[in-house]
Amino acid sequence: MAERDKRDVILQVKDLNVSFRTYGGIVRAVRGVTFDLRRGETVAIVGESGSGKSVTIKAIMGILPSNATIESGEILYGGMDLTKLTEEEFHNIRGKRIGLIFQDPLSALNPIMKVGNQIMEALILSQKMSKKAARQRALELMEAVGIPDVERRFNQYPFQFSGGMRQRIVIAIALAGDPEILICDEPTTALDVTVQARILELINKIKEERHLSVIFITHDLGVVATMADRVNVMYAGKIVETGTSEEVFFEPAHPYTWALLSSMPDLETKERLFSIPGTPPNMISPPPGDAFSVRNRYALRIDFEKEPPLFKITDTHYAATWLLHPKAPRVEMPEALKTRIERMRRRAVGNE
Amino acid sequence: MLKYTLRRWGAMMLTMFIIMSLSFWIIRLMPQSIFENPEVAPEIQRLLEAEMHLDKPMWVQYYYFLRGIITERDFGRSVKLRPGMEVFKVIVSRIKPSMVLNFFSLILAIPAGIILGTIAALQRNKWPDNLISFLVVIFISVPSFVFGAVLQYLFTFKFPIFPTLYNASASSFREMFRSLTLPIIALALGPAATIARYLRGELIETLNSEFLLLARTKGLTRTQAVVRHAFRNSLVPIANTMIPMITGIMGGSLVIERIFAVPGMGGQLVESIVVGDHFLTVALLIWYSAISLITIFIVDISYGLIDPRIRIGGEK
Ligand SMILES: Nc1ncnc2c1ncn2[C@@H]1O[C@H](COP(=O)(O)OP(=O)(O)OP(=O)(O)O)[C@@H](O)[C@H]1O
Ligand SMILES: [Mg+2]
Repeated sequence: MAERDKRDVILQVKDLNVSFRTYGGIVRAVRGVTFDLRRGETVAIVGESGSGKSVTIKAIMGILPSNATIESGEILYGGMDLTKLTEEEFHNIRGKRIGLIFQDPLSALNPIMKVGNQIMEALILSQKMSKKAARQRALELMEAVGIPDVERRFNQYPFQFSGGMRQRIVIAIALAGDPEILICDEPTTALDVTVQARILELINKIKEERHLSVIFITHDLGVVATMADRVNVMYAGKIVETGTSEEVFFEPAHPYTWALLSSMPDLETKERLFSIPGTPPNMISPPPGDAFSVRNRYALRIDFEKEPPLFKITDTHYAATWLLHPKAPRVEMPEALKTRIERMRRRAVGNE
Repeated sequence: MLKYTLRRWGAMMLTMFIIMSLSFWIIRLMPQSIFENPEVAPEIQRLLEAEMHLDKPMWVQYYYFLRGIITERDFGRSVKLRPGMEVFKVIVSRIKPSMVLNFFSLILAIPAGIILGTIAALQRNKWPDNLISFLVVIFISVPSFVFGAVLQYLFTFKFPIFPTLYNASASSFREMFRSLTLPIIALALGPAATIARYLRGELIETLNSEFLLLARTKGLTRTQAVVRHAFRNSLVPIANTMIPMITGIMGGSLVIERIFAVPGMGGQLVESIVVGDHFLTVALLIWYSAISLITIFIVDISYGLIDPRIRIGGEK
């Protein structure tokens, strides 16, 4: 990593390991996740359901459920290690330094509290603002996230809002404490496609206006293209490929990233969608070697036996697959994907 | 909210009317003559029957029955337990001890249940929760008269702290209340356990909800989040348990009043059925139904107050 970038790092996750105690055994949900967030950029974490994305950000926010343990690792922010903070110390971080937008705006709002009060309460209770000032600020926030007729909407309840509008309220709540980092956990998964695009636009807009740094979680690579500067691909609790958006989209190196790209719906062509065979592994006893090997057409024998390290491709691009080992046989990505990437590349150039 | 309230009110009145009619027809069609007093001469008996319209067909009697209640609160006269006395007055004379007993059981049960349920939920699966859950099972499954008898034995015989029976000649409310303490406790245990059990379940569910997580990511402390977001939300379903609870207290009161010799409504209802004092029975049934309906009404209204989805949804 270049020296000039290091100074700008605002949040750093280092070799994070999180596990859950369950009746079935220990679930090792996050296994050595490392990534960093630089000031003003958007970092995406992409992966299938259950890959450990939400657990990672819950660890950052200090809201892991009681059966979870952070086994090892550090989360460095503002000279502190967030994994070592007490509940009291976290109150100065949550909402005020780091805001979180949830996956499902339906269940994230309290159904029996007016939305205005839900935006105001943190300002009043934890920032000691006067009621009047908090109300003023809440109205401004509602306007900023694109809610029309704010005076009337202020006194309404969540069930009187559409899904998209609710997500805007959740965003307003996350922005209320004026954080510098915004974490979005699949903010559009529960919304329909047209609303999705508008919410993504909104997130990009407030990011610019408020100079936020954003961690963007999704399982949809298509969304990532319009949002992220850098992408981390996560599988079975590990980051298997990391790089700039261009690198991950146009020169993917890990077979799992290939599979994700191939299974991405493409509105312009009618080609049949590829779906990744099999299911993600059981995290109680993850397989040895590369966890993706059992679903991987291109797996080598060593993939089943020994865990691949992150191989460096460029200064910013790394992938954990034995295919990158100098002695590995040369394996190319599938032809269909190649043409697909070619198309995306042309479109990207066309847009510029 | 007004529309919602009015609609609930209307529904309550309709139900009340149906219950009144049912009580009338069921009790009055029972094969027992209203008068069976050998000491009263047959002529006088017939005269009295004429005065009470008992010589007319049933549906005419039904008309007089309804008219009496609606126009002049006339529920008829007692003919056996308190011969000649207006049923309404009989009830009024019995209301006070029963109301004190039932009302204070409720007042005791609600906060006790809420406190126990909250402790159990917050200390989930630790010893306070286990202890409370154990007590809850006992309090719910054992009927209140057993507790009544046990308390009576313990605190009036073993450790004579309270009077054994209801003190009918008490000179002050305090003295009367003292003689009602044990039955109040006996009646409150079951309902308190019911509330504790429901509240525990509800709270545990809301404590795991997404919006509680959101409340914490806003920067609220755990206590603030629980009080502001978990507690009130959990009260919505709890309101529902109030209905069976109040009828349960009143049902338990029927027996408890006997154990502690409380001259209340409960004893009166049982006696009136046994001896066949029909007017009194019908009136008491109406009284009990009215209490239940008013409870349901209050619960419905408080639902609306707690949960905007019901209040506002109902206006559309
Ligand atoms: N409270 C918990 N107890 C036990 N296991 C858990 C718990 N929460 C999460 N897990 C496990 O951790 C793993 C990762 O879950 P996580 O919620 O991070 O997935 P995700 O990547 O966010 O998926 P999604 O796209 O569905 O949100 C899963 O295998 C899940 O079963
Ligand atoms: Mg998730």
